[in-house]
Amino acid sequence: MRIGVFVCHCGSNIAATVDSAAVAAAARDFDEVVFSTDTMYTCSEPGQTGIIEAIKTHALDGVVVAACSPRMHEPTFRRAVERAGVNRYMVEMANIREHVSWIGKDKEANTNKATELVRMAVEKLRLNRPLFPKTFKATRRVLVIGGGVAGIQTALDCAEAGLEVVMVERESTIGGKMAKLDKTFPTVDCSSCILGPKMVDVAQHPNITLYASAEVEAVSGFVGNFEVTIRKKVTCVDWEKCTGCGLCTEKCPSKKAYNRFDEGVGPTTAINIPFPQAIPKKAVIDKEFCRYFTTGKCGVCAKICPTGAINYEQQEELAQEKVGAIVAATGYDLFDWRAYGEYGAGRYPDVISSLQYERMLSASGPTGGHIKRPSDGKEPKTVVFIQCVGSRDASIGRPYCSGFCCMYTAKQAILTKDHIPDSQSYVFYMDIRAPGKAYDEFTRRAMEEYGAQYVRGRVALIYPKGDKLVVRGTDTLMSSQVEVEADLVVLAAGAEAARNASGLAEKLHISYDTYGFFVEGHPKLRPVETNTAGVFLAGACQGPKDIPSSVAQGSAAAAKVLGLLSKDVLESDPQIAQVTLQRCIGCGKCIRVCPFQAIRETDFRGQRKAEVIEAVCQGCGLCNATCPQGAIQLSHFTDNQVLAEVEALCRC
Amino acid sequence: MADDIHGALREAIRTILPDVECVLGWGSGPDPLRSAPLFMKSPEDVERFRAGELAVNNLAVFLPEYAGRKVGIVVKGCDSRSVVQLISETLVKREEVVIIGYPCRGVVDVAKIAAAIGLGNEDLEAGLVERAEVNGDTVSVTVRGETKTFPFKDVMAAKCSICRYPNAVLHDVFIGEKAEAREDSYADLEKYEAMSLEERFRFWEKEMERCIRCYACRNACPLCVCRDHCVASSREPHWLSQADSTRDKLFFQLIHATHLAGRCTGCGECARACPVGIPVGLFKRFINRAAGQLFGFQGGLDPEAVSPLQRFLVDEPTIKEKEWK
Ligand SMILES: Cc1cc2nc3c(=O)[nH]c(=O)nc-3n(C[C@H](O)[C@H](O)[C@H](O)COP(=O)(O)OP(=O)(O)OC[C@H]3O[C@@H](n4cnc5c(N)ncnc54)[C@H](O)[C@@H]3O)c2cc1C
Ligand code: SF4
Ligand code: SF4
Ligand code: SF4
Ligand code: SF4
Repeated sequence: MRIGVFVCHCGSNIAATVDSAAVAAAARDFDEVVFSTDTMYTCSEPGQTGIIEAIKTHALDGVVVAACSPRMHEPTFRRAVERAGVNRYMVEMANIREHVSWIGKDKEANTNKATELVRMAVEKLRLNRPLFPKTFKATRRVLVIGGGVAGIQTALDCAEAGLEVVMVERESTIGGKMAKLDKTFPTVDCSSCILGPKMVDVAQHPNITLYASAEVEAVSGFVGNFEVTIRKKVTCVDWEKCTGCGLCTEKCPSKKAYNRFDEGVGPTTAINIPFPQAIPKKAVIDKEFCRYFTTGKCGVCAKICPTGAINYEQQEELAQEKVGAIVAATGYDLFDWRAYGEYGAGRYPDVISSLQYERMLSASGPTGGHIKRPSDGKEPKTVVFIQCVGSRDASIGRPYCSGFCCMYTAKQAILTKDHIPDSQSYVFYMDIRAPGKAYDEFTRRAMEEYGAQYVRGRVALIYPKGDKLVVRGTDTLMSSQVEVEADLVVLAAGAEAARNASGLAEKLHISYDTYGFFVEGHPKLRPVETNTAGVFLAGACQGPKDIPSSVAQGSAAAAKVLGLLSKDVLESDPQIAQVTLQRCIGCGKCIRVCPFQAIRETDFRGQRKAEVIEAVCQGCGLCNATCPQGAIQLSHFTDNQVLAEVEALCRC
Repeated sequence: MADDIHGALREAIRTILPDVECVLGWGSGPDPLRSAPLFMKSPEDVERFRAGELAVNNLAVFLPEYAGRKVGIVVKGCDSRSVVQLISETLVKREEVVIIGYPCRGVVDVAKIAAAIGLGNEDLEAGLVERAEVNGDTVSVTVRGETKTFPFKDVMAAKCSICRYPNAVLHDVFIGEKAEAREDSYADLEKYEAMSLEERFRFWEKEMERCIRCYACRNACPLCVCRDHCVASSREPHWLSQADSTRDKLFFQLIHATHLAGRCTGCGECARACPVGIPVGLFKRFINRAAGQLFGFQGGLDPEAVSPLQRFLVDEPTIKEKEWK
């Protein structure tokens, strides 16, 4: 093999603490290296041209680039050598930036280490073989999981561009949290007025199939060819027949069911349609409260329903869908603030969550838009808002900022004044975080125009006094104790990962952080991708996000899906496992250990052997590490290649 | 071992004989002290069967070769764990093996006896031992007309004094009263753990210098099922060189131990088989303890279980990764 070595300076990123020229000089002595040089920016246009020319001049058939992380530029250099007619897998990278120059200051030691890394890369490259991708057909359909505003945006963008969309929403209506909001910051426009039309579009778009009251049960397959099993939950109503007329909800005698849509502010009926604009507008029976199920007698709804849609015996159903890409848009849930004993741990009826307050503010909500104390229905005059409840508090395991609470609290303070002009709001806060467009102006308006009293400090205790609640805290700016006698306390509960987000992540084979938020491919450069090919993220499931950012991500994810599925054929990565039949003894260890069920047992002339299903293998290498005799090898990362690297290192 | 148990075992073997291709047990070996595997196919073969303190070999090592054919096997507690592990790894089918268990009070360590009569293990040529007998708590051995008697506990295999499963953990037939289990606190490892890494390395270098690369350790291991395909003798992949270097020999032991991680049942056959007495079982003891601590798992107890390193779980139930700070 004729190998060329290119040692990058990365401006001063590498050259400041590594003598790149010396590394290049040392590399000239390595086996099969016939050319080496150092370059200012190898990834730049002239840098790449340099590689291409060297390949031609020196008839190179393999290239080592000592530069940054392969995660950054391996694709760049693979494309470069390919342009010079060399197989893309005949490139190895030595990461002398993240692994060397950025982590050590001693130039001599760094230069030695960089040289060793190059030696390893050369030894590995000597065993590289050209690899060729296979092509396969892709299904030009996308699954969107979660019908909040982010998922809706993705679905509409994809559907508009001609893709078939399957949307799965676990509640009986789409809309997510935004559907529950009254007005939205910073423009204070009506939430359902701007969301409603988009929801209707989802329902009416010919390219969108909506499964509400449904969850993803299982996902198999791989990019371009996912097989999704969808579990349709029991609603006891045949949605084919239900017209959403609502007669059943009027007649249902069980009127004290928990109202999930209204966050428990005011009850609902056992059979219910969450809100008038619900999409799909279909009734659902809550078995926990339905008299037919609790007492065995009732059946009022079945009698009243003009289309005979009620079916108490309904069973769960599974549906299968084939898609080429998946977008997770499962949003967030609210932190259960009852973890805080000092705020009454849920014992005081007049301490409520911000989302409950939104429902109270909403004209179509349970109180018809009147702010009422849950305890006695009176209109509160003094309202205290407490921010960062379950945010930025390491003691309860929520050290992160939920991002949107400062803004919605200002909004709620403004709306309080609108609803009750003689009211006074107090906001206890830690810092005001209002970095968006027109955001800071908005919070200032709450203070200056609407007279909300902002107190910087944490609340230490809330306790009842007569029919009031005393809120005691410290004003850290004034260094004084503050006590406010409040009629109503609203807690800006922080965002946490959606219920069972981790379970979904596991089905999708994507990563999630300690808090359950899904992990993006790169925090800056791949914000809506994941590390699983064909799976993308949109909205608050990736981390707390307000509506503008969620919508932006929804569109970004759609753009990625459209890009991916713009072709009918996709290329498979040839870096996958392969079984050497002569060596395999059919012990099946690899089969059991493969996380992707990519290996099956076959019969080869009467002998038990392992076989890799190429399109399913993700190249994780677990089977390779498990097979005791090395009969299954990961192409491009074979035992011998890794051993060659280790040998090279031990020889130094 | 009591004659009535022997009798009952022979009877049990005869009973299953018509249903199986053969029954694996023990018969006399190169001399009266040592047993050899006995492959019983006829009632006459069964007459030569013997079990007890001299029935040292773990016969499970032969089972995978019988795949597709039904066999019987007589097992001590430790042997039964190998069978269970093989079943759990689908290398042996439960329905293809009839397991006959009996209570084991321990087996002799032939190397200890050899040393006690002033011989090296390698000096025990066939026929040298004229007589060997276990009488209650003593073992008598006659060499060149001279009989020596030792307390059984002094010449018992080390694994037996810490044996937690002296009765077959899985069996179709069990003959006799269950023997009492002992405790294992891995106390034997303390001595090595007290050594510095440097000292430990020197220790092993010194031990491995003697290794003749015969791979008896591997061949005796009932779970080393790769046989002719072992990485030790392959170029693709090329894990070991054929050079006569201590490091390569040590490396092989580390490979063996890691391949057995979460699988080894501690039967001790590897160390017993080593003709030059290298304590190769220690590596596996160390890893077995770690598998217990990390995964709460011991190989060879549950035929339905999958060893922790032979499966993929997003969350290992015993490793609360998400709670790591
Ligand atoms: C009190 C309050 C007031 C707010 N006010 C504003 C405001 O004024 N302006 C603003 O910009 N932002 C505001 N926000 C933030 C806003 O709610 C979010 O930005 C927005 O809802 C994020 O949209 P999303 O689609 O990512 O998530 P969500 O709205 O949470 O939607 C996620 C959807 O996915 C569904 N889902 C979850 N898991 C699954 C699953 N496994 N399978 C199927 N479906 C699933 C859920 O049921 C839900 O329908 C406010 C938040 C709160 C708490
Ligand atoms: S682990 Fe290795 S030997 Fe066993 S079945 Fe898989 S490839 Fe074959
Ligand atoms: S590399 Fe092996 S374990 Fe990993 S996905 Fe492919 S076949 Fe499965
Ligand atoms: S490694 Fe040794 S102790 Fe473990 S199962 Fe194999 S032979 Fe028995
Ligand atoms: S049995 Fe002993 S000598 Fe033979 S290979 Fe194993 S350790 Fe070496």
